[in-house]
Amino acid sequence: MPELECCPRPVPKPSGPSSWRRGGWLLPALPAWFAVYHFLEPVANRLTTRVFGLDLASRAGSALAFFLYDSPKVLLLLSLVVLGVTFMQTFITAEHTRDVLADRAGAWGNLLAALFGIFTPFCSCSAIPLFIGFVRVGVPLGVTFSYLVAAPMVNEVALFMLLGMFGWKIAAIYAGTGVAIAFVAGWVLGRLKMERHLEPWVMEIPFQAQAATRTRMATSDRLAAAVQGVRDIVGKVWPYLLAGIAVGAFIHGYVPQDLLARFMGKGAWWSVPLAVLVGVPLYSNAAGVIPIVQALLGKGAALGTTLAFMMAVIGLSLPETIILRKVLKPRLIAVFIGVVAAGIMLVGYLFNLIL
Amino acid sequence: MLIEVFGSGCARCQTLEKNAQQALAQLGGEHAVVKVSDYAAMAARGILSTPALAIDGQLRFQGKVASAAEILELLKV
Repeated sequence: MPELECCPRPVPKPSGPSSWRRGGWLLPALPAWFAVYHFLEPVANRLTTRVFGLDLASRAGSALAFFLYDSPKVLLLLSLVVLGVTFMQTFITAEHTRDVLADRAGAWGNLLAALFGIFTPFCSCSAIPLFIGFVRVGVPLGVTFSYLVAAPMVNEVALFMLLGMFGWKIAAIYAGTGVAIAFVAGWVLGRLKMERHLEPWVMEIPFQAQAATRTRMATSDRLAAAVQGVRDIVGKVWPYLLAGIAVGAFIHGYVPQDLLARFMGKGAWWSVPLAVLVGVPLYSNAAGVIPIVQALLGKGAALGTTLAFMMAVIGLSLPETIILRKVLKPRLIAVFIGVVAAGIMLVGYLFNLIL
Repeated sequence: MLIEVFGSGCARCQTLEKNAQQALAQLGGEHAVVKVSDYAAMAARGILSTPALAIDGQLRFQGKVASAAEILELLKV
């Protein structure tokens, strides 16, 4: 085919169904998403009054309307957020993060680690291989901790959901304080020279670093990965989400305003540590906490207290701590939890004070 | 061929193992899927994020749940 060299024949377009299935359907799906999102509230209110015959001002009515409105809303929002976040994450891998952070001693390393923690995908079942891989290639222990604190605490899905539901101010406060806590906690842990409190096998086992591979992916593959991510994540977290919305609906409809203001308001100094104590053993997916946060704030709970509760639930989780015990001696675990919990409480007090 | 699936037993890792088995079933012949959940073994292979997959001792990807079709592509190469 010599003529190809001078004037390349147009590449045959992939036939209809295949480009449609490779992500083309997302184009019409997006406006549809916005249209549905827009009509959720009136539909939920109508269902409550017309179908269930409840008054919106009544307790049961307002709880039901909250549930009917929030369930599809949060699910829709979550799907869109996960789609965007997973697409973005196809560009960042743990190996790149590791290479950026290796040998980066000092506060700058802590800050970078905390920032990377926001956007890199993190699953607590990966915590151990990641920890070993970081420490063994020379990422300082304190920098590794900054990353390990930020990765679950500043959850990218929670961040964009807060943005969608409460606006940029609350989202920025959440991300900013989370990064600050991770930065300071990692820095403090680094200064404490805790290396000897690692389980010895971490540094002794044979280790071979894998070079970061720069995978070239076609955009359609990235989109396919994003759609798969939505299926995986939304498919997994929807029960948590509905449970969270049910709790939120109950708070919204039945918990009296003054009760919450008294227990979680600015005046109650003990509410912040209490929120952290209650939050740590509670394990929920980040997305599941958002509806509860929404209901608490709506009922007059102070922002600082609510934020502390949310960060304790998603940032300090019991399962992750138990997993980390495999590589950290009890003393280091205790210091780790103590420093992070102190950071969360400080944030809680700070925002109760200034807002 | 020998396929190793690295993971600590989380849901994502189990899905990958299942997909790998499906891919092998489609390929046919004598193959095996081995599940590696030992952290020391993962460190020795330089695995940072799970689940990861190796074919005949060579690490092909990590931190990803590939579909059966994607794994089949890797197996054919």
